[in-house]
Amino acid sequence: MKAAPFEHHEPTSVDEAVSLLESLDGPTVLSGGQSLVPMLRFRLANPDVVVDINGIEELGYLREEDGFLKLGALARHADVEGSELIAEKYGSFADAAPLVADPQIRNRGTVVGSVAQADPKGDWGSLLIAHDGEVVARGPDGERVIPADEFFLLPYDTALDEDELITEVRVPTPSDREGSAYHKLKRKTGDYAMAGVGVRLRFDDDGVIEAAGIGMTAVDITNARASDAEDHLEGERPTPDLFEAAGESAAEESHPESDEHGDAAYKERMVKVLTQRALGDAAERAGVVKQRRVSR
Amino acid sequence: MSSETDDIPEAETEYQHDEDGGPDPEKHCGHGRGGMGEGVKRKEDKRFITGRGNYVDDIKKPGMLHCEIVRSPHAHARINEIDTSRAMEVDGVVAVLTAEDLAAHELATMPTLMDDTQDVLVNDKVKFQSQEVAAVIAEDRYVAKDGAEKVAVDYEVLDPVVTAEDALEADAPLIRDELDDQEDNHIFDWDVGDKEATDKVFEAADVTVSEQMEYQRLHPAPIETCGCVTDWDPGKDKITVHLTSQAPHAHRTLFSQVSGIPEHKVRIVSPDIGGGFGNKVPIYPGYVVAAAASVVLERPVKWMEERSENIQTTGFARDYDMTGELAATEDGIIKGVRTDVLANHGAYNAVAQPSKFPAGFFNIFTGSYDVEAAYGSLTAAFTNTAPGGVAYRCSFRVTEAVYLIERMVKVLAQELDMDPAEIRRRNFIQPEQFPYESATGWNYDSGDYEKALDKALEMADYDHYREEQRRRIENDADKLIGIGISSFTEVVGAGPGKSCDIAGIEMFDSADIRVNPTGNAVLRVGVQTQGQGHETTFAQIVAEELGMDVENITVEHGDTDTDPYGLGTYGSRSTPVAGAATAVAARKVRDKAKSIAANELEAAEEDIEWDRGSGEFHVAGAPDRSLTITEIAASAYMNHPGSEEPGLEAVNYYDPPEMTYPFGSYIVVVEVDRETGEVDFERFVAVDDCGNRINPMVIEGQIHGGLAQGIGTAMMEHVTYDENGNCTGGDFMNYLLPTANEIPNFETGYTVTPSPHHPIGAKGVGESPTVGSPPAIVNAVVDAMAHAGTTHVEMPMTPDRVWENLAEAGLERDPAETVVFDPVGGDEGEPADD
Repeated sequence: MKAAPFEHHEPTSVDEAVSLLESLDGPTVLSGGQSLVPMLRFRLANPDVVVDINGIEELGYLREEDGFLKLGALARHADVEGSELIAEKYGSFADAAPLVADPQIRNRGTVVGSVAQADPKGDWGSLLIAHDGEVVARGPDGERVIPADEFFLLPYDTALDEDELITEVRVPTPSDREGSAYHKLKRKTGDYAMAGVGVRLRFDDDGVIEAAGIGMTAVDITNARASDAEDHLEGERPTPDLFEAAGESAAEESHPESDEHGDAAYKERMVKVLTQRALGDAAERAGVVKQRRVSR
Repeated sequence: MSSETDDIPEAETEYQHDEDGGPDPEKHCGHGRGGMGEGVKRKEDKRFITGRGNYVDDIKKPGMLHCEIVRSPHAHARINEIDTSRAMEVDGVVAVLTAEDLAAHELATMPTLMDDTQDVLVNDKVKFQSQEVAAVIAEDRYVAKDGAEKVAVDYEVLDPVVTAEDALEADAPLIRDELDDQEDNHIFDWDVGDKEATDKVFEAADVTVSEQMEYQRLHPAPIETCGCVTDWDPGKDKITVHLTSQAPHAHRTLFSQVSGIPEHKVRIVSPDIGGGFGNKVPIYPGYVVAAAASVVLERPVKWMEERSENIQTTGFARDYDMTGELAATEDGIIKGVRTDVLANHGAYNAVAQPSKFPAGFFNIFTGSYDVEAAYGSLTAAFTNTAPGGVAYRCSFRVTEAVYLIERMVKVLAQELDMDPAEIRRRNFIQPEQFPYESATGWNYDSGDYEKALDKALEMADYDHYREEQRRRIENDADKLIGIGISSFTEVVGAGPGKSCDIAGIEMFDSADIRVNPTGNAVLRVGVQTQGQGHETTFAQIVAEELGMDVENITVEHGDTDTDPYGLGTYGSRSTPVAGAATAVAARKVRDKAKSIAANELEAAEEDIEWDRGSGEFHVAGAPDRSLTITEIAASAYMNHPGSEEPGLEAVNYYDPPEMTYPFGSYIVVVEVDRETGEVDFERFVAVDDCGNRINPMVIEGQIHGGLAQGIGTAMMEHVTYDENGNCTGGDFMNYLLPTANEIPNFETGYTVTPSPHHPIGAKGVGESPTVGSPPAIVNAVVDAMAHAGTTHVEMPMTPDRVWENLAEAGLERDPAETVVFDPVGGDEGEPADD
């Protein structure tokens, strides 16, 4: 790495970090560094000041609390991958974690850092959307909670202010009749998604879909919600035909561009396929159906 | 990971042309001393796995400066002005060099390996993106980069030409307008074979098939990028260059020719090299700039590429647009092969190949098959892309040739509705036909192609997968099975010197063995390891031929001041050429040892016999009157016979009489997901024949690595450019290399068909897997869709590309077509058929 010169600060508390962000000129926050460091190396990012939050030990948590699954700003992808709590109750997170980049990046990179980077090809934003999650930020005026739907504005652009630090992302804990899943297509380990779909389904006691969440990766300018597809699902019983219709709808709602990951028509088609696969897994994990293939 | 460990049949372990009869099959080979055939652990691994390797970038010299190259953001642009003044103001910048500065030393341009002239730093016109424009020399590499950002270049952007096809259009912008005779972007036409005879065969044929295929531009992408540390010593008028070089001696000669520094005042040292794969055969502008800077500034200068500089500017591989045609009988007997190629050579003709043929060994495109007539033609063009055409883990274009013929055989099999294994069997050159002269003039040394194919078919359980494939088609299954075969022939081991050279220097190689008074030895060779394991396998050859323990032999290479002249390591030539030199030199030492033994044992020299099993020299008929090589070494220095000079050493420069022709059969079974186009490897069987085997473990490692690269080629690697000539595949986010996750379990096997002309019957092997595997993989994916009419899928076979082919064949699938939901724990609903 041959980065341009920058000033490096290492706060050890959130308060100290926030006051640094407020007082310094044009600060950039460094957490896992898996996007920022390559950008420094290419000199695509040339910040004068870097606030390195890796010393804030209190931010390394992953826990359930007050009806939420909470991930602190220093929870690494690998923490999600290795968590028993996640494996037990959060199917979509358990699906996504081992699909993020490669093991080296997962050991160092953070979930919050990926969300803050707001790359439309990042995975976690889709799950925040599917789960009606929230971003918790601290600034000079205190704490602010930003719903996922309002957080992602443009590629690499979010509702976060320059002097704010994301301390946490969180999603509501699931009910007993709830399941979630994430399906992603990529060309190789370490590659970004060609397309990805995260879903969450909550059923009532009769097996009717009470609430549905669908977030899409790499097929729009940000991680995006497929709200028409969600509307298709709510109030219905799960069937392959229903999920196909939802997949079709999600594909229509996506706006992929042709690029090195494939042309737009292929990606739309994959949104349809991945939505169906993810919905099927979510319904199965909710304990409502068992999937089976009739031809092998 | 599994491996065939069948005992080698007795007859095949004997070395050809070895009067001593070869190693004792009872003891397998090697006699427990680490000789031929033993899977000795690699001597070099201790330093590598304990972090004690010494690569070019590890080298630090007192007062060393760092070089950063300023590169063009445009693919085609005229330079109006270069302003270096602001860069010079950066604290720590020592110098900024431009073409003007280099011209003062006659170093503004340099010759390529194809006698073209490449700009070291661009004076007038940039011809590809990231081309070298200026160089900043500074106290550290960060400051050098800071300085490079301050060099202001005024460009006038010109229309670029990116593809060979566009380059040859009549109205295409002229790229090489500085050349006097160049009126278009055409470089050369070349053809080989008998056109008339081939056309006749095609006219008379029962059936002909044709297919267009692209071998995409690849990059060898070694882990270590290219770089150097140059150190001019004004006291000795001598320059030492630590260089990422696959061919240090040849590079010294070229360095001397380019710089004007006499050759004996140039020392090239190739320390540990982190992979080469052909990328480290050419000379790059950065080397020249760093050397010039060191001479001018009289301080050591380090230049080390960044990853994207390596991919975007150093020697690429392939980039052949090929049309293949076969003519055959109804029974599938191939009568003729015809091919036409359009080659993109980039902005300079900088192909790195030493043969007399402009397209290297591409004319081996008749492969493993006995073909009556063949004709190939090729046109090469300049484009506004990086120059290259290196032999990426292969012999000079044999990879493209093997891909062409192995793909076409599959196309023909489909056309005739024949089993692709059977059609190969019907056309193989038969063992008794060797030495075999091909329709394009190659002289194959030895082969038994059917034996390797049969072994692979058996290992892969071929019939089972054919059955499973049928079953899935009948059941209209979500995932299709495809089985691909490649029965390739390689051609490796350049020279002979009469047909291969670098800058006129014939492609021999060398070995120098010195046995010390205490009985251990140093072997110096002219080739340069970049991971091939020479320090182990060449020591094993000496161990075998002198009856020494492999632990007592050190192999040295890579220093032109101390090692014998050689042409370097690429094209799988090290074992065929330097391995042969090593065996011959060892036998010379053995001859002298006999003379010393005769003196010590007071017998006539002709009565002294050497026993390969024990490694001892004894008097004929009196095995107890014997000496070990250790005892003889002591005598050589302490009691040498009057008839001999003191000491015990020998040198051999070996010019091979012919190439060697390793071969093999690979069988790949894939499962193709009709919903997404994803391809999974079910089986990957590789049977190789490289003649007599020196170290089976090293061979297996070579095969594994090469197969991984073959998978990268077939599935994901591609140096891409946009229409403006921007390299869009120039870093590891976009130039995709497979990881362990993408690599299946390899099942390796072997047959042994020794080379009749090699001193130990060995052939090269390091490149067979890269050469042989891509067509097997593509054939497998095509095979999965062949029932619906698919005849070709272009590489790299990314999921989107495979899915598009599925859709074209009407094979695409949606989950809803086959998924059923069963209620949980319920018995309601009708179970669907399975």
